[in-house]
Amino acid sequence: MKNTRNSVFDGILGDNMVLSSLMMISPVIICGDTLKNALALIFAFTSITFISMLIGSFVPKKLPYTARIIIYAAISSLVYIPVRFAAEGFYPESIERIGIYYPLLAVNSLIVLQSEAKFYRMKRSRMIGSLVFYILGFDAVMLITGFVRELFAYGTINSRIVSIDTLISGLGKPFGGFIFLGLMCGVYRCIRSAFRAKNRNMS
Amino acid sequence: MFLVNDLIALLAANLIFSQALGTSTLFAAAASRKDLVRTAVTITLFTTIGSLGAWGIDNILPRPMKNYVSLICYTVIVGILYAGFLTVLYFMGSAKFRKYKKYIHISAFNCAVMGTLFTVSGRAADLHRTRDVLCYLGGGIEAGIGFIIAALILAAAYRKLTSEKVPESFRGFPAMLIYLGIISMAVYALN
Repeated sequence: MKNTRNSVFDGILGDNMVLSSLMMISPVIICGDTLKNALALIFAFTSITFISMLIGSFVPKKLPYTARIIIYAAISSLVYIPVRFAAEGFYPESIERIGIYYPLLAVNSLIVLQSEAKFYRMKRSRMIGSLVFYILGFDAVMLITGFVRELFAYGTINSRIVSIDTLISGLGKPFGGFIFLGLMCGVYRCIRSAFRAKNRNMS
Repeated sequence: MFLVNDLIALLAANLIFSQALGTSTLFAAAASRKDLVRTAVTITLFTTIGSLGAWGIDNILPRPMKNYVSLICYTVIVGILYAGFLTVLYFMGSAKFRKYKKYIHISAFNCAVMGTLFTVSGRAADLHRTRDVLCYLGGGIEAGIGFIIAALILAAAYRKLTSEKVPESFRGFPAMLIYLGIISMAVYALN
């Protein structure tokens, strides 16, 4: 039970892949400026990462490291094809706006590097649990970023105009994405260290 | 004057400041100036040679299939380069192999390299120059040089951004992101 709880905090709070390790930050910075984009990215990232890593876990460990990495990247690139077909049906406008960042989700560090360093060392059942929470960690950051940046940059939520006095149009630009993510990263670290201090005091 | 214009164009099209491509790799290598330069040079090799492969693929693939199949084709190109560079390094001697292989591992599959292939390909399609190999080659070299410039700009401030004067929560990565954001803002203004 304790292990399961640890894996929840590993992926979402303890070791969030975006805020802690700064993995996959390009789509968050450039395309995470609206909720619609965020949802399209979440759909692709979640499905590609989960399916690819599950299939990748069956790749024989006897193969050389470099060959395994190339195979993982090839698997995710193949999984990308049906996901792209589906996404064009669900999020046609967002796919157009996201552009090159959509295929880039398929060769993310979680699939290509972290799979070897972390996930494929675990038992498959534990790996799936841990992977789900890592994916949820990315999804949460993407949603928050998309929501806040859309609200303050364009004064809308999911393309619906809301009454807001202060607009910061720069938040919708790449530099706004860098600065917002930097601030979010700092706040995340504050919260994480507060949690750790609290846990230490309790034990 | 031409040099200034070229420098401005290079900054404006910089894959890190304007597209945030390869930022994670830049941060991963930022701790040491040597690592940063070596990673940047390796990425330049990947983007330059990879762009030539992208040129070949773009001229073979039928247009309707490009959105779906170009990723797997580019992955194969980068995979071949990855294995090829490691093989060349291996034959250069075991000491060099042990010393430099990590830069190839870091540089192969990341947003900087894959993103450059897509960017170069998209730009060639926009300019109707998909048959012009120099357009691809130039794009690949430009992306690599852009990465080196970004690496140098980050290296210049690295010690201050990780110093104890910065509040603990913002020390390191968060401060680097904000710093890159400010540089990116300046580059945006140049546009």
